[in-house]
Amino acid sequence: MMRKNPWLYYGQKLLIFVLSVLLLSVIAFYIARLAPGDPLVSYYGDRVEKMKPAERAWAEEKLGLNEPIHVQYLRWLQGALRGDFGISYKYKTDVLEVIGGRAVNTLILGGVAFVLIFSLALGLGILCAWFEDRWPDRILCKVGTVISCIPEFWLSLVLILVFAVNLRWLPSSGAYSVGNGGDVGDRILHLILPLTVAVLNHLWYYAYMIRNKLLEEIRAEYVLLAKSKGLNKRQVMFRHCLRNIIPSYLSIMAISVPHILGGTYIVETVFSYPGIGTLSYESARYQDYNLLMVLCILSGAIVILFNLAAQIINERIDPRMKENALVETSEVTEVGR
Amino acid sequence: MEDRFAMVGIRSAPAAKPERRRRRSLPLPSVLLLAVIVLGCLCCELFIPKDPAYMDLFHYTQAPDSEFWFGTDTMGRDVFSMIWYGGRVSLCIGFLATLISTTIAVVFGSISGLAPRWLDDLLMRFTEIVLSIPSLLLVVLIQAILGKANVLSISLVIGVTGWTSIAKVVRTEVRRIRNSEHVIAARCMGAGFFRILWKHLAPNFFSSIMFMVVMNVRSAIVAESTLSFMGIGLPLEVISWGSMLSLSEKALSSGAWWIILTPGAFLVVTMLCITNIGNALRRNVSRKESNL
Repeated sequence: MMRKNPWLYYGQKLLIFVLSVLLLSVIAFYIARLAPGDPLVSYYGDRVEKMKPAERAWAEEKLGLNEPIHVQYLRWLQGALRGDFGISYKYKTDVLEVIGGRAVNTLILGGVAFVLIFSLALGLGILCAWFEDRWPDRILCKVGTVISCIPEFWLSLVLILVFAVNLRWLPSSGAYSVGNGGDVGDRILHLILPLTVAVLNHLWYYAYMIRNKLLEEIRAEYVLLAKSKGLNKRQVMFRHCLRNIIPSYLSIMAISVPHILGGTYIVETVFSYPGIGTLSYESARYQDYNLLMVLCILSGAIVILFNLAAQIINERIDPRMKENALVETSEVTEVGR
Repeated sequence: MEDRFAMVGIRSAPAAKPERRRRRSLPLPSVLLLAVIVLGCLCCELFIPKDPAYMDLFHYTQAPDSEFWFGTDTMGRDVFSMIWYGGRVSLCIGFLATLISTTIAVVFGSISGLAPRWLDDLLMRFTEIVLSIPSLLLVVLIQAILGKANVLSISLVIGVTGWTSIAKVVRTEVRRIRNSEHVIAARCMGAGFFRILWKHLAPNFFSSIMFMVVMNVRSAIVAESTLSFMGIGLPLEVISWGSMLSLSEKALSSGAWWIILTPGAFLVVTMLCITNIGNALRRNVSRKESNL
């Protein structure tokens, strides 16, 4: 790849990001407006049926529903650029306010899961590669295959059944006990089960990837040279092989964000953990499309951002990886969730 | 003199390690187990003891015994019969959704692979945007538009959201072979897009997407059960492994473990078999490539 002017390079990436998010918002807006279900009903509840036509028209005008969709979109976009994303029909407050209250919880759950997944995966991957084809490797691979086949929601159910219903060790839902929001220990207790599910579900995939990449490196010719210099297995593994796979690992970490995010959504819903996932699920059920749309755009923007980050890592840090990364993207994004 | 040079000469290649994993074909246990499950679901009328939809109000939430082998659910339906009967729906959705997504993926990927550079870029950007929406949200949205769910609409929703990764592989493969002689020759002779796709491109990328297609069946089944479990998929009356699990909230409060564990166990075993078959396919493909 040619080294371009960095300003130009990052400017181009930024432009791509903005355009993608804009396109995404158009799609989301149209879907949300064309979806069945009357926004008036979700705002006013059953009162809508008793409304007179004049009242109805007034209400529609108040919510800006009487204009053609593209006008509505432009108006929404104008507001959005000023930080006003409209109101949630169900909660009757600003969308950002509703999301903000929940986002922290998701960030905690997702963030801790992310860190745990990638540090554990690295460790397990190295362990497997070290004992290639011997019993630790074989057992770990078998266990991993089995666990990765278990659907997230069912794993959560089984854990709830065992640890919350039968043993009564851990709470089964929520982020904290009622009236006990400030207690850190209580919050951690509520985090254990969702976190276990989120980590277990994604861990093996990445551990396996590390293992295969390491093994590929070990077969490379420079390892033969390193060995002939007299380096022992540990030095070869950590100084040479591991260093070589770290850039692609970083980019995979960036690409994996949507998966882990999507995974936490399901876990949150099962454990009724008050995060973005449960919020989007609720907003879909109550046909609160304004909220759902913003959530879609928000998660989409995060994903696009991290995809671009992965591209930048590939192209800037390790240009060698450019072609490989394309193939890997397709593999990582295998519809998991 | 000769002795001295013998030391510098080409080192004799180390004897190739005997290949440990010699599995050329599919893993037999997984194939057999999957065959049993599929056949059992298809011919379930022959052996299930009860009507899976019949609600026996005297025996609801009953633990497994000699009459109800896997117990009954909270609505008094026999879990053993439901498992086999519901498996049909789950497997059917798995195959239908995969069929839909593979068709979309192959057509989209080939168009993108054969298209000029700018169109290709545009299409790939579009795929990325589709990928960027967490699929759960997308499914929820589409489901809301399609209205009340049935087998077909669920398959459609899952299929429409799950094609992107296959499309990317197809595109890469097509770009690789699109300038080879036989494709150009076919073009010169005036072959249409679908003829080239079917006769000349598909045989070449078939093996590399086969594994992903198999894995797609797996994720489609998982997606169906997740959706039905959350109450935005199939309704309770349509029996499937997922909709059986949607009763689990009630089951949890009454401690009825069999309602949760049995459908889930079937789900996991099926997933495991499919994964093993898929992995075997992938190994076969990568071996072929390394032989080239």
